[in-house]
Amino acid sequence: MSLSSKKILKKRRFIEKCFKIFSILITFSAVLLLIILLTHIIRSGAQWFDWQFLTSLPSRKPSRAGIYTAIFGSLWLMMTTVAFAIPLGIGSAIFLEEYAGKNRLSRFIDVNVSNLAGVPSIVYGLLGLAIFVHYFNFGRSILSGGLTLALLILPVIIITTRGALQSVPKSIPFAAYALGAKKWQVILFHTLPYALPGILTGIILSISRAIGETAPLIIIGAATYVAFTPESIMDEFTAMPIQIFNWTSRPQEDFHSLSAAGIIILLAVMFTMNSVAIYLRNKFQRTKND
Amino acid sequence: MTDLSIMSTENLNLYYSEFKAVKNININFNKNEVTAIIGPSGCGKSTLLRTLNRMNDFVEGFHTEGKIYFQEKNILSKKIDVADLRKRVGMVFQRPNPFLKNIAKNITWGPSIHGRDFDQSELVESCLRKAGLWDEVKDRLNNMATDLSGGQQQRLCIARAIAMQPEIILMDEPCSALDPRSTARIEDLIGELRKDYTIVIVTHNMQQAARVSDKTAFFYEGELIEFGETKDIFTKPTKKQTEDYITGRFG
Repeated sequence: MSLSSKKILKKRRFIEKCFKIFSILITFSAVLLLIILLTHIIRSGAQWFDWQFLTSLPSRKPSRAGIYTAIFGSLWLMMTTVAFAIPLGIGSAIFLEEYAGKNRLSRFIDVNVSNLAGVPSIVYGLLGLAIFVHYFNFGRSILSGGLTLALLILPVIIITTRGALQSVPKSIPFAAYALGAKKWQVILFHTLPYALPGILTGIILSISRAIGETAPLIIIGAATYVAFTPESIMDEFTAMPIQIFNWTSRPQEDFHSLSAAGIIILLAVMFTMNSVAIYLRNKFQRTKND
Repeated sequence: MTDLSIMSTENLNLYYSEFKAVKNININFNKNEVTAIIGPSGCGKSTLLRTLNRMNDFVEGFHTEGKIYFQEKNILSKKIDVADLRKRVGMVFQRPNPFLKNIAKNITWGPSIHGRDFDQSELVESCLRKAGLWDEVKDRLNNMATDLSGGQQQRLCIARAIAMQPEIILMDEPCSALDPRSTARIEDLIGELRKDYTIVIVTHNMQQAARVSDKTAFFYEGELIEFGETKDIFTKPTKKQTEDYITGRFG
């Protein structure tokens, strides 16, 4: 080997090493930030984190304030969101993927769905305010909030569901068609079940996004002080991120740590949902071996 | 066309967009016979097979000229109910493709969507017996079909096709993804099935064609070069191309 080619080799090895170290550093700095954030939140919120906090209504006094109504508000909100977003999202995805074909209209819808997924959430809030709160006159209710959040996650559900449908190997629907199945039978009995883990993952991830959304709810006017748990979807409501936002914006120091306790709960809910998503994906994927 | 004929083509041309894959084919398939279609890759044999139950409808740009008669009806006509055609003309694919369901469901799903009245366990047992799979799977009918070995999966796919009580079974290189032992089992099975069914099989393997079929059609570059009794094709081919192909591979 000549001297110059040895030199080049050495240089390449050096660059390789630098790049590796660089990637490791980047990764760990991200993880480190997350750990710092979490410990900070847990340390400041832990003192308030007890049963009383979970079961109390909001209050002027930090020692008596709790997140009870916000938890229930979020639950109601998510149920409403899911009830609208899932059928609409999966239905649209099936239409776009299986029926629409490749014409101008479907391409137009396609581009718009992708764009909608990138629209800032506050814009959805304004839309919800104009349409659901005022035009349909649903007021500042759970229904308005749920519909707004449903719109917000709809594009994501459509995109992930389409991805899941696309990943179904063609041989499965072909086998069904070869038995004389009609298209709806193929989709309902084979394509959808096969794509289910992917669809579920998409849905759960978008719900964990929706449960943390604050801006659209503030715009449509979710109340910050609600002294009762909702009884119908037309009731006023508060939600966990709203409650947290409200506590952080108060001057008293105690409320700030109270909001940290609220964040712990919100994060716990999100982590749980993400774990469920991963669990479901693995569970269903294990039954496929191709 | 004779009384024995169940399906025949008339001046059939098949195209993928501009490309003419099958050229002016007139061929006749007889009832209760096994017809093998052989020829080098890209000769149009699979294209022809997949047209016989209209599975090529899913290929973009695919179009046809000419006619395919199945019991006096042209199945390429727009008026044909494709689902009904596929119910009567079954298919076994190149790679085993069982449904992501249990073994029994794989068999019963087809008949059930056509609203046929049947005894589930009876149907499952008889189809699995015919496919020579019963003894291997009778204790685990509720297991996922995808847990079976490749050869077992393919026999399950054949059982699934039989469950429909088709008049014709099309087989598209059914052994190409299998090991020699599984291949031998499937070949035995075809030997059994020829009593009750009409089978059209596309194969790369000429020995296989010689072993399992009554008639053989040799395709080359989209044309039907020679068609006749299998023993004639393999012992005294009349066309030079046929002879070259048969001897070139194994001579």
